[in-house]
Amino acid sequence: MFRLALSNLVQNKTRFLISVGGVGLALTLVLFFRAVFDGAEGRLTVYIDRAGADVWVSQEGVRTMHMSESALPASVVEEVRAVPGVEQAIPILYTEGMIEANGKDYIVYVFGVPPDAPLGGPSRITDGASAPGPGETIIDHAIASKAGLHVGDQVTVLGRELRIAGLTSGTSSLVSSVSFVSMEDFARVRGGGDVISFVLVKVKPGETPAAVSSRIAESVGGVTVQTRGEFASQERQLIGDMSADIITIMNTAGYLTGLAVVALTIYIATVGRRREYGVLKAMGVRNSRLYRIVLFQALLTVGVGLVTGVTLTLLLSVLIPRFNELIVLSVSMASLLRVTVISALIAGVAALLPARQLAGLEPVAIIRRG
Amino acid sequence: MSGEGLHIDHVTKRFGSGDAEVVAVRDVSLEVAPGEVVLIMGPSGSGKTTLLLMLGALLKPTEGTITLDGLELSSLSENRLPDIRLRHFGFIFQDFNLLSALNVLDNVSIAAELTGSSRKAARQRASALLDDLGLGRRLRFSPEKLSGGEKQRVAIARALVNDPALILADEPTANLDSSQGHETMRLLREIAKNRGRSVIIVSHDQRIRDIADRVLWLEDGQFKEAVIMAVDPVCGMAVEGNKAVSAEWDGVTFFFCSRGCQQEFLSSPGEFLSASSSTSKGAASASAGDPRLHLRGT
Repeated sequence: MFRLALSNLVQNKTRFLISVGGVGLALTLVLFFRAVFDGAEGRLTVYIDRAGADVWVSQEGVRTMHMSESALPASVVEEVRAVPGVEQAIPILYTEGMIEANGKDYIVYVFGVPPDAPLGGPSRITDGASAPGPGETIIDHAIASKAGLHVGDQVTVLGRELRIAGLTSGTSSLVSSVSFVSMEDFARVRGGGDVISFVLVKVKPGETPAAVSSRIAESVGGVTVQTRGEFASQERQLIGDMSADIITIMNTAGYLTGLAVVALTIYIATVGRRREYGVLKAMGVRNSRLYRIVLFQALLTVGVGLVTGVTLTLLLSVLIPRFNELIVLSVSMASLLRVTVISALIAGVAALLPARQLAGLEPVAIIRRG
Repeated sequence: MSGEGLHIDHVTKRFGSGDAEVVAVRDVSLEVAPGEVVLIMGPSGSGKTTLLLMLGALLKPTEGTITLDGLELSSLSENRLPDIRLRHFGFIFQDFNLLSALNVLDNVSIAAELTGSSRKAARQRASALLDDLGLGRRLRFSPEKLSGGEKQRVAIARALVNDPALILADEPTANLDSSQGHETMRLLREIAKNRGRSVIIVSHDQRIRDIADRVLWLEDGQFKEAVIMAVDPVCGMAVEGNKAVSAEWDGVTFFFCSRGCQQEFLSSPGEFLSASSSTSKGAASASAGDPRLHLRGT
């Protein structure tokens, strides 16, 4: 029967290709959008992932970098250092701001880091210095390329002219980038006294971040302490919540398009062969077998469409960053699994109407009335 | 009723109820032996198709019983009927009704696979059958590339592939030209005689009378008085008594294909009666005596 299902489906090759193409494009839309979001999300937490800190200490109640502001007295650093299990405690300053270059503004997350800090400084240097000195900044090379900037050029960061001392890689996305300045410059620009944003903690060998985190929370007052994993997770959660609606809308549009294409294809393929299915019923083929034919056709259409969609998305995830480094596509297994499961559900739903048609088909009608 | 062959016992089929009730088939009884070819004729709306549908287990009678090879179809649950149809019946349709997406071989083998045969065994059986029917060189052809006669032979192969006890054919020659129609008729008779299958044909095609063992006339849901078939004593042609030119001689009615034969006979009856003494009285009585033309009323 699967041979019949397959033959019925691909007999009209043009129609089949259009259907598969339609499903493929719809699923590509879903996968692509998700991949762009995941790519951007990965870039938004890249600093947390690369800073090298096992534990993050912030102002009490502040659990994310985005959509909040952490301000701690500088004295907290010494308090944290005194906690057993802490190997290093490094203060950093942080704010969201702009880089102005050649008449254009670029959104950046600006970090003020101490000179020669073992934690929290720039990573993956592609050119120039590995840490910003006074009057210097280190920016991402993707932003530099886009703005036509090079090491040695001047840019405006936090309203102050700074010289580009070095370039990093892998921190830029469509919506943001990371730039580093010296803590001294940052503090001067911001003003407001002896205040820091976060304390980055490296735990001693043999200690676990969770244990040290608990000890800091118990010993130091007025702070929120999170392991790197918890902090990154909170950050991703916030970003996810902020973009959940638009992602849902885009996904729904993609899935509904796919569903419509598959449903229409299978419906047409079934209705166009009503007579043949009626003959099969007259011969003794049960409804359940006919349902399987329809379901198999729907699954096949969706399956080939899914493979097409995944292939296209993977291809785009390789090609697009070559032309625009700010667009990063991250195709995750979770995303593929989710789309696969939803596609299977789409196939099932798409098969319902044709199956209903077959159930109501009277084989008696096939034999001419005499 | 049980035993080999098909037994239809006082079968009635009613549709609707009360004032809207329609009796499509009324108290029909019939027995068809293995190897027998029965032709059912009748005007449109006479109940032929309803009867055929009941014989094919596609419709249940309101009253009466239908038994095939000892299995009472009319008492079986709806759930069991598809399997019964698949294994015990072969259907041949006016429009062939082949599956357009499958080739000739697959059109036949799929019916065997549906009964649980392996793909290999089903294809072997289908291939052998198609070869027998002269389609050995057409196995990979798409149905649309076949002539009408070839399509009907594929349909016949499909009907036979599960070795059914009963073949039901609905106007099998309606869409065929004369030679293809004759070929199909020959095949249907051969199936009955060589393979021992019962064949029931519903048709308006008068040519099928030639291969039928019995011709039944269904009208208003009942088998009516037998159509009298006779042999023209002059030219030997089979003619219908109620339509043919007739003449009485020596107290016996004779039937002729034309007035020419009638005049020739009347000019010298003895010449024709002595030439075929066995049919001299048989012209009129042949209708009852000829096993090919035996008819049965209700």
